[in-house]
Amino acid sequence: MVLTEELKGFINTLVKAKKNIRLYPENNPMYQKTLNDVYRHLSDLLHYVDEISLQFKQFEILYDGEVIYRNEDKEESLALFFFKDGVRELTFLRGIPIEEVEDFLRIISTDFERQMVDDDVVTLMWERDFQFIKYVVDDTILVEDETYEEEAVKQVKEAVSDADIMKAYEEAFGLEKTEEVTIVPLTNDDIQSIVQQIEEEEEDRDKSQKLVYLLFEMLTYARGRSEYEEIINLIKEAIRYAVNRGNLETVIYTIKKIETAIKDRTYNEEVNTLLKGVQYFINSNVIISLLGDVLEAGAEFEEEVLEELAELLSKEAIPHMIKVLGELQNISSRKAIIRMLILLGRKDISLLAKGLSDRRWYVVRNIIYIMRQIRDPKGTEYIIPLLRHPDRRVKKEAIIALGELGVSNAVNLLKDALRDGDESVRITAVRAISQLASPLSKKVIMESIKSKDFRERDFQEKKEFFKALARWPDEETIDYFVGLLKKRSFFRRSRLEEMKAAAAYALGIIGCSDALEILNKLRNSKNPLLKENIEFAIARIRDAGGRA
Amino acid sequence: MQVEEPKHIINQLAVLVRTGMIHSTENVAVMKAIDRFIHLMRPYFEESDPLRIDLIGEFFYLNESRVRYPLEYLLNFDYLSREFRRRQLGTVKFSSQVSGADVKEFIKAFIRAGYSNTPFEALEAALEGVDSIQLERLKHVQEEEGIDKRRIVKKTYFNAVSFTKGVMNKLKAGEKVSIKKAKRVVESMVDLILEEEPLLLGMTAIKEYDDYTYHHSVNVSILSIAIGQKIGLHRRALTELGLVALFHDIGKMEIPKEILNKPTAFTEEEWEIVRRHPYWGARTILKLKGLDRAAILGAIVAFEHHMHYDHSGYPKVRELRNIDFYTRIVSIADQYDAMTSSRVYARVPLPPDKALSVMMERAGTQIDPVLFKFFVNMVGVYPVGSLVLLDTKEMGLVYECNPLFADRPRVMIIVDSRGHKIDGYIVDLTEKDESGRYVRTIVKTLDPNKYKINLAEYLL
Ligand SMILES: [Fe+2]
Ligand SMILES: [Fe+2]
Repeated sequence: MVLTEELKGFINTLVKAKKNIRLYPENNPMYQKTLNDVYRHLSDLLHYVDEISLQFKQFEILYDGEVIYRNEDKEESLALFFFKDGVRELTFLRGIPIEEVEDFLRIISTDFERQMVDDDVVTLMWERDFQFIKYVVDDTILVEDETYEEEAVKQVKEAVSDADIMKAYEEAFGLEKTEEVTIVPLTNDDIQSIVQQIEEEEEDRDKSQKLVYLLFEMLTYARGRSEYEEIINLIKEAIRYAVNRGNLETVIYTIKKIETAIKDRTYNEEVNTLLKGVQYFINSNVIISLLGDVLEAGAEFEEEVLEELAELLSKEAIPHMIKVLGELQNISSRKAIIRMLILLGRKDISLLAKGLSDRRWYVVRNIIYIMRQIRDPKGTEYIIPLLRHPDRRVKKEAIIALGELGVSNAVNLLKDALRDGDESVRITAVRAISQLASPLSKKVIMESIKSKDFRERDFQEKKEFFKALARWPDEETIDYFVGLLKKRSFFRRSRLEEMKAAAAYALGIIGCSDALEILNKLRNSKNPLLKENIEFAIARIRDAGGRA
Repeated sequence: MQVEEPKHIINQLAVLVRTGMIHSTENVAVMKAIDRFIHLMRPYFEESDPLRIDLIGEFFYLNESRVRYPLEYLLNFDYLSREFRRRQLGTVKFSSQVSGADVKEFIKAFIRAGYSNTPFEALEAALEGVDSIQLERLKHVQEEEGIDKRRIVKKTYFNAVSFTKGVMNKLKAGEKVSIKKAKRVVESMVDLILEEEPLLLGMTAIKEYDDYTYHHSVNVSILSIAIGQKIGLHRRALTELGLVALFHDIGKMEIPKEILNKPTAFTEEEWEIVRRHPYWGARTILKLKGLDRAAILGAIVAFEHHMHYDHSGYPKVRELRNIDFYTRIVSIADQYDAMTSSRVYARVPLPPDKALSVMMERAGTQIDPVLFKFFVNMVGVYPVGSLVLLDTKEMGLVYECNPLFADRPRVMIIVDSRGHKIDGYIVDLTEKDESGRYVRTIVKTLDPNKYKINLAEYLL
């Protein structure tokens, strides 16, 4: 019959698909092609017949009594693959949708040996509950003891052999009328409450927290060192399991549990020591880097959860956390670690500072940023040397940090940066110095502005410096700005006009109404930059005046 | 046209009947319900005309495939199936020609037939002029098929017991056990509960053989799955539940046999040891293999199954947390099976109905009250194995409960009304005579253990 030949071809397609689906990820064209091949092949066949029933022998597949496939290789044989789990017949029905074909292929391509699965092919098909694939299984492979049923039945019959039916019947009439259990009908509320509980059960998929709870209760009943150790190891395993599934609440719960247990002396000394081992484990590289992996894989956590965990971790975790920070590629996962380090790093600034010698500039910058957020002045001593860091991004972060952390001699430390070779470093420095707002700050900025080469700098930088100086709107400053506006020059005129524009800008920021006269005079300047800044200043000053 | 799932059609029919009972059929609410009902049927006519609704056993079938429904529809489905049964109505076929007026006629006739002594005939007569709706009388599930099914049920049941025995002995000997196989065994039970629930429940009444723990474990698994199915767990969750129930007493293998099978009451020291089995069970399960949901659930259930809903049991815990959902199911099954079994903790077994009333008193304290309601609704007032005297002076054993009429199970008569011992035949207590009265009603219950009468003899 033609169909037999066709079916031989179909089995070959299936054998190929079994390999390909395992090999290629879903988005790979080969995956799609394989799936489509099988689907088309199957649909074509089902065009001629309503259903296709395949029978399985150990090494053979039969259709309509005819062998259409034979392979005795233990690894390769498709027949054996189904046969060994008890499948004896497999039927595909007409109308099978591609989704069922895909799930079927995924099931048969499961790597049952390598993956830690407790399912066999029958279980997977059973759970999937196909509508268009039926199968017959021989459950005798599950039978432990063939004679069990017979033996049990014999025992039961012996036990009831001396039943006294007639005595029961006679006595029945003398008995009181039975009061029956009243059946309380199910209400909608009952059903709702069950539906809700089932949902909650579904949400708590991993059950890790309940497991940790259970293990702590079990500790009460454990006897002797080896049982203690066994349970302690299970707690560690539970933590790993929880982190793997992105359930940090369980880790938080565990840490708290341990702290209370130790504090309240819930268990004996031996157990306490072991529990401290669990604390150590949670703060170890094993768990922290696992957390990194989970983050990198795209797990998202609520901010509060990350923060609570960070608060509960101990300083021992800091180096591991820094290591993870260096390894993560993903921006959002790096952010999460940074957020945690802000809370964790407080516990030991010197440990945190170790990260400053990392060879990756971004790690160093992140650590400085973390120190900024921590706001512990102890951080400054570690940051100062970084003002000479080869990477300008690090340098800038260090400048900002020193500005914020408020060291007594900060201005002195930062003033060198005003002469840095990099413009963005200089701008960062002048902002930081200005923000420090000490009398020395003004002096340093003024000196810088009056230095010989200042005129040669970009307008943007000039503006930044002047703005920084504008923080001290005293006579000296205003005289200086106004003086600039009045200055005339025939050489290098454009540089001077940049200076004037920056001065106008600064006067605007100050809101200096005394400057209006000179500003108005210059209003018709042909230099667009100057004109623009003059207009800005006039508007600002009027605005400020109007409000005053 | 959007094809709605079959469950909506059945549900809508229930809504329609309900609304019709409350309002006159001229009412707007009824009209609306009729419109919606027809609207839902419409797309099905393309595939098959007429559309066929059958009630077979406990389930509705639409065009011959069983209609699955979520728990939210349970009350409506139960209601409709009860009302069908009351009228001995088994099948309704709607043709594509069906109009709103036809459906209205049907509802009117359906409601009125409820007051008739011969409801099906009344219904048929009233619809004589309506060609678009055809009816068929309710059929009883055929007995012959039953014999084969019973064989399968028996095989599955004893296979599970034998498997459990094997697992326990292997664990005791420190050998590896196959979770894959355990799953397959549980799956076969789940399948039977979905299809042959009453029969499989009947098997749990058989207890007098081998070690108690083996068949007890299987019984608890079966009863748990049955509760799980009643509350609408999907099949994967049912396997999970059945699996953890099967292992709930695994810790018992650490109790010395001399204590476990002791014919007299335990001493305080012996109790002390027995009370450690939940702890041992949890340990054993957690050591079995790597952590996963099944292992964790198994350990939780093993540890908690004697704790009780209100934590009044054992082991005592330091931190009070709600008893796990699965534990609450398993412990209902566990208590029921333990109470009705002999040779357990040297206790006298209770008759099934007595066990239920003891449990009823505990509902809300030791037992989750809502889950218990589901349980009673499942096993009925007179659970399988109860020895009962009927108002006809017949005596029999409850053979199969009827999920819709909790106090009207199917009974195997073992003594007839003239006081003669007979070979059991089965009667259905929902059966009525011409005047509409029930033919048989239970009046008394007896303790089957006292007289060594056991359903087993008839079931096996
Ligand atoms: Fe127990
Ligand atoms: Fe038990």
